Amino acid sequence: MNSTFLKLNLGPQHPSTHGVLRLILEMQGEKIISCEPDIGYLHRGMEKMAEKMSYIRYLPTVDRIDYLAGFFYSELFCRTVESALELDLSERVKYIRVLLLELNRIASHLLWIGAFLMDLGAVSPFFYVFRERELILKYFEKITGQRMMNNYFVFGGVRHDIFDLDDVEEFLKILQNKIQDYNKIITDNPIFVQRTLSKGILAPDLAVNSSITGVNLRASGVKLDFRENDYLYKDIEFNPAVLNGKDSLSRYKARIEELQTSSEIIKQCLEKLKEHTNFRNDLVNPINLKLPTGEFYSQIEAPRGLASCFIKSDGGTSPYRLKWRTGSYYSVNLLRHLLKGEYLNDAIAIAGSLDIILPEVDK
Amino acid sequence: MNYLYFLYMEFLAKHNIPQLFGDITFFCIPITIIFAALLVIVLALVLFERKLLGWFTQRKGPNRVGFWGVLQTLADAFKLLCKENITPSGANRFLFNLAPIMMFTPALVVLGIIPYSSEFTFISTETNLLLFVIFSALPVLSILIGGKSSDNKYALLGAVRNIAQILAYELPIAFSLMSIMVLASSMNLTGIMLAQSTKYGALGWFWIPCFIGFVVIFICTLAELNRCPFDLPEAESELICGYNTEYSGMRFALFYLGEYTLLLANALFISILFLGGYLSPFGKYISPILFSQNVGNIVLYFEQAFWLFLKAFFVIFIVIWIRATMPRMASFDLLKFSWCRLLPVSILNLFIVIIIKYFGGLYA
Amino acid sequence: MLKNILKLLISLLNVGKHLFKRPVTLEYPEKKNSKPENFRGVPVVNKCIKCGTCINVCPSGAIQIEENQFFINLKKCIFCGNCSYYCPVKAIKMSDKYETAVSDKNELILTYDIKVSEVKDV
Repeated sequence: MNSTFLKLNLGPQHPSTHGVLRLILEMQGEKIISCEPDIGYLHRGMEKMAEKMSYIRYLPTVDRIDYLAGFFYSELFCRTVESALELDLSERVKYIRVLLLELNRIASHLLWIGAFLMDLGAVSPFFYVFRERELILKYFEKITGQRMMNNYFVFGGVRHDIFDLDDVEEFLKILQNKIQDYNKIITDNPIFVQRTLSKGILAPDLAVNSSITGVNLRASGVKLDFRENDYLYKDIEFNPAVLNGKDSLSRYKARIEELQTSSEIIKQCLEKLKEHTNFRNDLVNPINLKLPTGEFYSQIEAPRGLASCFIKSDGGTSPYRLKWRTGSYYSVNLLRHLLKGEYLNDAIAIAGSLDIILPEVDK
Repeated sequence: MNYLYFLYMEFLAKHNIPQLFGDITFFCIPITIIFAALLVIVLALVLFERKLLGWFTQRKGPNRVGFWGVLQTLADAFKLLCKENITPSGANRFLFNLAPIMMFTPALVVLGIIPYSSEFTFISTETNLLLFVIFSALPVLSILIGGKSSDNKYALLGAVRNIAQILAYELPIAFSLMSIMVLASSMNLTGIMLAQSTKYGALGWFWIPCFIGFVVIFICTLAELNRCPFDLPEAESELICGYNTEYSGMRFALFYLGEYTLLLANALFISILFLGGYLSPFGKYISPILFSQNVGNIVLYFEQAFWLFLKAFFVIFIVIWIRATMPRMASFDLLKFSWCRLLPVSILNLFIVIIIKYFGGLYA
Repeated sequence: MLKNILKLLISLLNVGKHLFKRPVTLEYPEKKNSKPENFRGVPVVNKCIKCGTCINVCPSGAIQIEENQFFINLKKCIFCGNCSYYCPVKAIKMSDKYETAVSDKNELILTYDIKVSEVKDV
């Protein structure tokens, strides 16, 4: 009972909560005293749904866990099933997957840049990033037939061979130019720096204790990238960007760096794809697909942190229990700590900088 | 308006209409025409902004309603007119309804103070300048009333932010205006404008001796109009829509149009103070050269208005350009920026201007 | 301070240069993007052998096969393309039609005659 506090419901229908996040804020003036994230407005029961569906039926729906990085969840589910069935991917298929995953990562980060700048009140970058993202989506459409819900990976391979790799090379060239542009328009902008520099400091201890992974963690100076131990990325050399700023600005910079890292990976993939021209799928009969009894787990570095999939199978055609771990879920929880004592307009910028995607949180 | 009055009376005398009728109607007709024209310009301004924002982001902007999207604003206004006026149950009905009116009225009054051409000023007093400053700051009251009475926390926050913002930004404006008064030795807008008329054209205008003041007033006007990067009172990513969150239908349209009318008025104001108002940038008007004296005198008024609006639209273009580029400032940085940067700089400007005035030269 | 002003001007100029660039947007109903070859639009059925694979792989249960008719319910279809990918005789093809708005909901249930197509085949 303290009448001096203003209780503010930020969301679930608020322009800058990136979907339907609800933050219950207690404020003194514009200063936030406490923040209580409330999630579940976009809950679709992705985990329970799996228990009723056969594996092949469930596969197209996993893209929808994170609509901005559908390939990652598709890959994750395929990977878990493949590890259970001990399927072997051919080299070409592996590189096709890496190529598409990294393109998807670029698309996801690009959109984040736009949305973050929109949170800060700049309108133009939002459209600029959509312009570049469109090129990726067009390529996805060409390859997979859809722009976002691709459903291109299947258990043991991909649907069909990849083509038109020149488009990707061209895109990478364009992207390099555009990153320069972004740096001039956004990164060097003093107002942008003022809004983000040393705002929302995420201490490495707090980050690790809150299970933060991915770019947010690397921007706090902890070098942890699950791609390094990933079997898909085995023959690919890359250096994940690690920044020491711990603030919103370094989270932004880390994502810009990540665009570069992903471009490097894609370039290597293009080289490898030229070497390995033999396309071979190790397909299974999808209709009566049964996983052996046991527990299967796999993980991948998604754009918003570590994503992992756990399947407990009782030998039936559908999982006994399926569990998704998504990066954003932990970022939302972090808001409790990060927003305390901040002013409202900084709070929006901080929440935006964590790259929260609500469908991924609620599943 | 002597010359026009003379022409009008002559026209009426020809058709045997009593002079009293002419005395009454003479002021009504142009006022009606001008205000209708201004409303059309404001509607065009909204389109102008949306088109420009589109072009800045490689889009086409509105292009559906009418040829090239020219009727888009009209269609939007019509849509808003048809919509239901929702009043929140906790709102203070009287104040809630009063706020949009209080936004729009001063905006129209302000337009009356502007000298559009040498024969065309509605309200011309000795202290025009102060009148403008007072009326252009009045909408903040309506924002406070609207924000407070609509029983919404976001609206309240927006209104409170706006008060803090206006308080911080009025002072640098005052100091910059003082330097203009010193330069022009006048507080009448026409006087200020005529003080800028030299044979050097654009080089004789006050933006050169008073460049710092020009920049300061430009920035402060952005803040006063709640334009980006100072659009904190209606920051859509933080406060949804700020003070007008709960407004819908025609009342929202009044807020919206009021804002744009004020933008136009302030752009006109800046171009009068610093960019020579209706003076031609070449030092000489073109129409007397092209036309004979009788026709030329009438065309001259239009030419003057043309220069004024050209300058105003140039200012608006820059405002929109800034909106397309800049992120929003944080509220405390914004206040700090005004008190710690703009205010000292504007006082410095005053001193510079006084020195320039003292040593004379072109601006003595 | 001066450096910051310079940076602001640079960012203004970099936004301003887009004024001279061509718009990238398409005026949608008049101009349309060409759809690639394997675009996943509305499924089209031809020469079905009634094996039922598509029913088993459809995640949303949009497919129904009766005596000599094949129903695809576009209200349920999520255009995942499982049916066309797993069809053993490639009877289901994803067309490039993607504008599926209709005025009557019943029109969304696509009906394909199986018999007729078989006759044609013979």
